[in-house]
Amino acid sequence: MKKHLEECAQSVLDGDQDKAEELAELTLKDSLPVLEVIEHGFVSGIREVGRLWEDGVLFLPELVMGAEAMKKAMEILQPALEASSEKQEKAGHVIIGTIEGDIHDIGKTLVATMLSANGFEITDLGADVPVADFVDEAEKKNADCIAISALLTTTMPGQKKVIDELENRSIRKKVRVLVGGAPCDEDWAEQIGADGYAGDAVAAVALVKRLLKKG
Amino acid sequence: MKEDIRKIIRQRKVLFDGGMGSMLIAAGLGEREIPEQWNFLHPEKVIDIHIAYLAAGADVIQTNSFGATSIKLSASEAGKALDPAEVNEKAAGLAFEALERAKAPDRYVAGDIGPTGEFFAPVGRLTEKRAREAFREQAEALERGGVDLFLIETMYDLREAVEALRAVKEVSKKPVAVEMTFDSKPKGYFTLMGDTPEKAAEILSAEGADLLGANCTLSSDRIIQLAPRFRGLTDMPLLFQPNAGSPAFTHGKAVYRQSPEEFARDIEKLLEAGIDAVGGCCGTTPDFTRELRKLIDGYQQQADDRES
Repeated sequence: MKKHLEECAQSVLDGDQDKAEELAELTLKDSLPVLEVIEHGFVSGIREVGRLWEDGVLFLPELVMGAEAMKKAMEILQPALEASSEKQEKAGHVIIGTIEGDIHDIGKTLVATMLSANGFEITDLGADVPVADFVDEAEKKNADCIAISALLTTTMPGQKKVIDELENRSIRKKVRVLVGGAPCDEDWAEQIGADGYAGDAVAAVALVKRLLKKG
Repeated sequence: MKEDIRKIIRQRKVLFDGGMGSMLIAAGLGEREIPEQWNFLHPEKVIDIHIAYLAAGADVIQTNSFGATSIKLSASEAGKALDPAEVNEKAAGLAFEALERAKAPDRYVAGDIGPTGEFFAPVGRLTEKRAREAFREQAEALERGGVDLFLIETMYDLREAVEALRAVKEVSKKPVAVEMTFDSKPKGYFTLMGDTPEKAAEILSAEGADLLGANCTLSSDRIIQLAPRFRGLTDMPLLFQPNAGSPAFTHGKAVYRQSPEEFARDIEKLLEAGIDAVGGCCGTTPDFTRELRKLIDGYQQQADDRES
């Protein structure tokens, strides 16, 4: 079992989608505990990928391939998990998008991919998303968190508008807001009353986890 | 006849201009507009920005064509309506118009080429062939516009930089500068794709670049450490164009925290480390260029005094 877990983690670390799929199938075939394989195998692999990305050992291609391998394994394991009595701890639901007027979506998509690989439920609204859509969607999905990306100094004020709109609808306290994108930083997050800022996809995962634990 | 910039740069420090995007925003670029659109909508404003940089003392100005490959243009509604070749030729025309109006015919116009915004596999679906074709179309139009040199900049993927460089060399014999954009990580300087300065210097010089360098991502204070490291890698002329420090918000508008004087103090360290050409990237303005002009002139004077 220990070897199996290590192999699962390694397949994500190697970004080997075929291997990750094969190991996920083997998990079902041998009736291994699905939840444990996810949490101590694949997830521990993606955490390691994240750590190495932050250290500057792995880069964008490896990060994307690791997340893809993780996704492949989850596609196989998720249905089995839902059918069984084992329950994965619900990580939370995150609404994510790039603010209106801004079409930069690479960073946002990476954050969405990494959150999804870490077990969060994601609603990705894409790029150039109107302020109201973030809030509408958060209400509709009863989301825990809204993540707003802005890559331009001209569109950054839109992040504040989302927060204002949450205030207007008196639901600011129900949802955590995090901001990201090249021109943003912690000062900016504080200035507009966001709950936090993340500089990259890995930091975003850590931040969302921390915010939702507190909340 | 202008002297070849490759020769000039061996004789003295060369000053490139500063940010175009942040200047256009200050001039009123709308949220759904892209900078290249203004070559047609507000050509006078683009010329004015070039003239301001020339007046501040820039030796080289960069055409307003950073995002003018067909691939990048087609990613926005505003860009879809534009013809890539026309955008680039017009961008070169506006820069030369500025030279003429500023009565500075001996300065240089660099045809500016930025990334396509798409990624190669496994991250995205960009292919070498498609990248090369898009860059070739852009380079051809800039060449028709008569640019004195090419500046391939803000490249986060060495593979893409190489495609751009090869495309330029297919259509022009002019000098080509290539700037990669590095971030500072615990283990050193890397591009988004993990390319190191060592690998960039090796491959880009082998591919025939005339100037190498780094721009964007890092602010002037965070790029200083990269200068001696890069200098140790190659004898080729080096060009550095850092950002001004991160923006702060006052009354809903982006204001860059760093003063031109602070910026120039950092740039002085780059000159001391042997960087041959400097300029600014995001957030820098003609005020920054003016400070750099003073710095370079003073630096040059000292160097000349030492020699005589």
